[in-house]
Amino acid sequence: MSSKPKIKELLVESACEHNKDKKGSCNAPTPGATTGGCALDGAQIALFPFADAAHLVHGPMSCIGGAWETRLTPTSWSGRDLTQTGFATDINNNDVVFGGEKKLAAAIDHIVANYAPEAVFVYSTCVPALTGDDIDAVCKHRSEKHGIPCVPVHVPGFVGAKNLGSRIAGEAVLQHLIGTKEPEESTPFDINLIGEHNNTGELWRYRHLLEELGIRVLSTFSGDGRISEIRTAHRAKLNVIVCAKSLISMTRKMQEQYGIPWISCSFYGKTDTSAGILAIAEALGDADLIERTRALIAREEARLEEKLMPYRAIFAGKKAVLNTGGNKAWSIASALQDLGIEVVATSVRKSTEADKAKAREYLGENAILMTEPATQQAKIIDETGAHLLLAGGRSLYTAIKKRIAFTDVNQEKKKSYGGYDGLLVLAEDLKNSLQNPVFELVDRKAPWQK
Amino acid sequence: MAEVRRKSGKPLQVNPHKLSQPMGATLAFLGVDRCMPLMHGAQGCASFTKVMFTRHFCEPIALQTTAVNDVIAVLDGGDYSISESVKNIGDKIAPDLIGVHTTGLTETKGDDLRGVASKIDVPLVYVNTPDFKGGLESGWTLTTQALIDQLTAPCDRVEAQKIVLVPNVSLQPIEVEKLRDFIEAFGFNVVAVPDLSSSLDNHLGEKQASLSSGGVTVAELERLADAAFVVSVGASVKPVGAVLQKKNPAIQHRHFDHVSGLVGTDALVAWLLEASGRDALPAVVERWRKRLQDAMLDSHFSIGQTRFLLVAEPDHLAAMAASLREVGGKVTLAIATVDSPILGDIQADQVVVGDLEDAENMSDAYDMIIGNFHTEALAHRVGKKAIMRGFPNYEEIGNALKHDVLYEGGAYFLFEIANAAERMREAQVHHEREQIKLQGIA
Repeated sequence: MSSKPKIKELLVESACEHNKDKKGSCNAPTPGATTGGCALDGAQIALFPFADAAHLVHGPMSCIGGAWETRLTPTSWSGRDLTQTGFATDINNNDVVFGGEKKLAAAIDHIVANYAPEAVFVYSTCVPALTGDDIDAVCKHRSEKHGIPCVPVHVPGFVGAKNLGSRIAGEAVLQHLIGTKEPEESTPFDINLIGEHNNTGELWRYRHLLEELGIRVLSTFSGDGRISEIRTAHRAKLNVIVCAKSLISMTRKMQEQYGIPWISCSFYGKTDTSAGILAIAEALGDADLIERTRALIAREEARLEEKLMPYRAIFAGKKAVLNTGGNKAWSIASALQDLGIEVVATSVRKSTEADKAKAREYLGENAILMTEPATQQAKIIDETGAHLLLAGGRSLYTAIKKRIAFTDVNQEKKKSYGGYDGLLVLAEDLKNSLQNPVFELVDRKAPWQK
Repeated sequence: MAEVRRKSGKPLQVNPHKLSQPMGATLAFLGVDRCMPLMHGAQGCASFTKVMFTRHFCEPIALQTTAVNDVIAVLDGGDYSISESVKNIGDKIAPDLIGVHTTGLTETKGDDLRGVASKIDVPLVYVNTPDFKGGLESGWTLTTQALIDQLTAPCDRVEAQKIVLVPNVSLQPIEVEKLRDFIEAFGFNVVAVPDLSSSLDNHLGEKQASLSSGGVTVAELERLADAAFVVSVGASVKPVGAVLQKKNPAIQHRHFDHVSGLVGTDALVAWLLEASGRDALPAVVERWRKRLQDAMLDSHFSIGQTRFLLVAEPDHLAAMAASLREVGGKVTLAIATVDSPILGDIQADQVVVGDLEDAENMSDAYDMIIGNFHTEALAHRVGKKAIMRGFPNYEEIGNALKHDVLYEGGAYFLFEIANAAERMREAQVHHEREQIKLQGIA
């Protein structure tokens, strides 16, 4: 059977609210008016954090030349960090004409011989998909030869956007890795963290708290993840989706196949971190665990509040406009509210229906949900008297024209804002932004300008 | 002469520094004013490229995609996706030029770019840049040739003072500007093609631009053929000279492999004196030559005891190796992204086409690394020091204003390298001293 996933099926996920009243998908991107990465990009984001696996892109240099060693997904893996190692077959003219299967097989051999990975993910791209390289066959053969999983991930960019690639990655792991190994021991509190990529070390901001409670992270998909652990993921008692709607298909299927229930959490800000940890404890259903969790939350919140005291005065009465994507529309908003900052508007341009509803719930009746932030945000800053704009780099101009503070909320950020301690980092960064004279000064008229 | 290995012999690239041909094409189109580069491929090709240049230059990058999907990949010959893209771009903004460049996907399915382009009546230049051939340099050069071939009007007279300057892709925006100013100091008028010096030079514009904001204008491109000279800098752009000469055989072509270091810059100056008919240098040029001479003496002790690994595009390797070699730097290994006629002329002991795995395996050969930001992690692994040069550099800001060429930039370059080499040795001495102390205590 081909390992190629059924794209249609992935696009119409039954566990997604919005697919109940939507007919078919509107997946086709608009030529000349499309931004954002492709399926390959999404699959890389989802799987690259496995540092003990090699990530081999079967494609030309556009697919990886600028895209390896770009994401800060740290690992505690003691071997060579393959997250930060780029592998590509660098398809040339010859491979297009005569096929690239032999080269791909030899590339896998080279990787296994020199880097001893626990698994090899092989990412198919547009060109070999068109020329018809049989990646499944190569992977199957190499898995048998080397005795490690070689996992085909069919993500030519023309099949769709990042989000789809992330689902395909989940599908590949489900089909080829999960359930292929038994854990050495099981505990009643084993969980999987799905969609936690440990960007800038976010996982490490709360994992120790779970462990303190006796909740064991059996595996992660895929931050600081291990191949040997994800192979045992079918024995978890609970799947926890961390800010990653795109992996709902994966958790739904794990529920169907292995009977594992799932919940969705965010660990941004105090309120959500507390709610997230408590939700895990409640889903595991142990009265003693729930009680201990409440105590831990109370302790952590008190500790945090004390450290936040110096910031309270600085943030009092401050208003912010938030222009970011997806679930960040509410998760970062919640963190800002924890700091005492009023969020007067947030962008829901790329959010799902559920995210929009959640944003409304968090921000209240008066807040503005921006559907076209690029054109709306300047006016909203004027009307609300906002002091702070949190957005991607492209919005910097809006901030300096309006002379208000700006903080970049891009994922390429080098710092983690997750968990309780991350809120302190966010507070310090926002304080620095608000107190920085540069936004007021940089666009000033020179003395000789009228 | 260097020992040259032109093929890697491996079935893959490990820790690649090679970049693709469409990426070079995008960058060339960004050197045209009010241009919208349009990459003809799946949306990821443009997205990866856009992210890379955005992070390297810390600037918004204008780039659109024809967003080829599965249906179009099979059924469309390019007509629909390109003409639909042009229409959708035009709905929002009126670029002076749309720069269509292809990718591996659309070349594999064999789109007829010329045919499609002939049916579109907005200003448009097209170029075939499959990413399974060539690299950053060839994408830049093919695009520069296409701009001239498709836009420049033939001409049968020349303006004696006009020079068309064709920089190679590795010259950063400020270097293009310095080079233009340098030539203009001899009384010429210079048009750079492409010209990143006013588009991606880290300037704060009036507003958020959705097109390239700066660069050579389409009107200037149309009128290139009345230049007296075309000056190419870098072996990769040498073929551009002939393309312009087709528009006017009276144009003279002068080529330089690089304009780095004392000898390299002297060659340019000697020619400028001859071409301008002047007998004396502009005072500022003469002064900078003296400063470079002094910099060479001040830096020779440090650089002269250092063995270098250079990792870069071929033309960039040739330029940096020449600068270092003039003050005794030992370029023991140079790793090129792709093959090039210039490889045999690079002043290094060994020149290979390869990747950073090759660099890691040969780490005994060098003390210090000059290369893109990926060499930072390499340096940590092999216990060396790295200086950032080339695409991409996500670790540092200010890349567009790094000036390494001509007398002036050459002096800055030598100072930076010499200082870094000294600090590296100082750290080693400190480490050894600590070890001796520890042994003393034990």
